[in-house]
Order: sequence, then structure tokens, then C-alpha cells
Amino acid sequence: MNTYDMVKQEFIKKWITTLHMCDSSVEQPMNVTERKNAIRLSSDIAMAATRSGATIWSRALISRTGKNKATCKPVAHRILKKARNRMKKRCTTITRNGGAKMRVRKRTELLKSLVPGGELIDNKDYLIRETLDYIVYLRAQVDVMRTVAALDSVTNK
Amino acid sequence: MSNRRSRQSSNATRISDDQMIDLVSKLRQFLPEIRERRRSDKVSASKVLQETCNYIRKLHREVDNLSDRLSLLLDSVDEDSQEAAVIRNLLM
Repeated sequence: MNTYDMVKQEFIKKWITTLHMCDSSVEQPMNVTERKNAIRLSSDIAMAATRSGATIWSRALISRTGKNKATCKPVAHRILKKARNRMKKRCTTITRNGGAKMRVRKRTELLKSLVPGGELIDNKDYLIRETLDYIVYLRAQVDVMRTVAALDSVTNK
Repeated sequence: MSNRRSRQSSNATRISDDQMIDLVSKLRQFLPEIRERRRSDKVSASKVLQETCNYIRKLHREVDNLSDRLSLLLDSVDEDSQEAAVIRNLLM
């Protein structure tokens, strides 16, 4: 089994846990929208938790989901508590870059807005590293969710 | 996103060509849209950034769509449900 398969396996385990926690923290029965939000939220938290506190994007994602949603808050807080101090130490403030190449600058800003926590990174090396890392885990999330969706349409009565 | 046009001098604000070549070779496995450049010493930084952003946005959309689909398919997100057991057995 290669590393990517291990990532997906770890993600599945985490996702089942977060799904269960989101499920138990919301009144039943959920309507479709609530269920979608729970699935999306639990999936994002699971993806970030799979990476744990090792990257800025995973910590930022947990922080973001923990702040805005009432559901899954205990899950988010638990993971966030471990990462909170590390995050404070590592984050740097945004520096005002006056770029000679406006297009590169604008698209770098866009990339920063797409990668969780990207707006906190001002070092280009670090941004590239975080981006590559984030893409790997995003793909794992998509692959697993796609497989589950395919399975579920087969097993569902 | 701010579009501030400050006129500061560009101290290490560009991604260097070496960094871009490194990024491109790493991203190539993920981004089939990046074609082989004839003059590999002139990698377009803005093009790579654009492709990367497009790819991430595409993945975000997929996650959103899949969340939609799963919310319709799954009766509940109960860990003990039959679906969860099937999924666990098949994927682990």
C-alpha cells in the first residue's frame, strides 16, 4: 500500500468519527440541507485532522470550521486545542508586496485565498509547499467521497 | 483580495525561475493541462499559478457536489448504519 492509500484510509477513519459526532450533535431528523452541511463539515474536519497540526492549511481549516459552525464544535475544539499554540508561533503577518509582475502577484493572492491559512503565509517557498500538500489531501477527500457516493448509490434500497 | 498597487521595489517578491521549474515538475502529475514547454527555462509563473488555482477551485466544487449527492443518498449519517458498515468493510 502506498502513501496515498494510507492517506485515504486515515481520512476514512477520521471521517466516520466526525460524521458520527456531527450527527449526534444535531437534532434528528435532519433536512437535506442540514445533512449536506454536516457531511461537508465533517469531511473538511476529517481531511484536516488526517493531516493533524502539521501544516498551516490544516490548522486554518479546523479553526475556520470550528468558528463558524455550531455542529461539530466539540470535535473542532478538541483538535484545535492541540494546534492553537503552534499556530500562533508559526504565523506571520501579511507583508505588503509591491510586485513588479502584477499578474503573478494577483494570482498568488488568489492562490492564498484558496488554500486555508494561505493569507497568513508571506514566504513563497512555504506557500508552494503548503499548496502541494493541500492538493494531495484535497484529492484524497474527493476520491474517498466519490467512492462512497458510488457505493451508496449501489447499496441503497 | 486587495489590489493595492504600491510602488515598493520588488525585493524577492517574484517567484524565482528555479522555484517555478520545481513547482511545475511537482505539479505536472496533478495538472495535465500544463503542456511541456519548449523553452523550459522560461516557465510562466502566472500560468502555473492560474492552473493551480483553477485546479483547487475544481476540487472544491467537486467536494461540494459530492456533499450534495451524499446528503441525498444517505438516509442518516449514523455510524452504526448499514451503509457505514459496508463502506468500512470495502474501503479499509
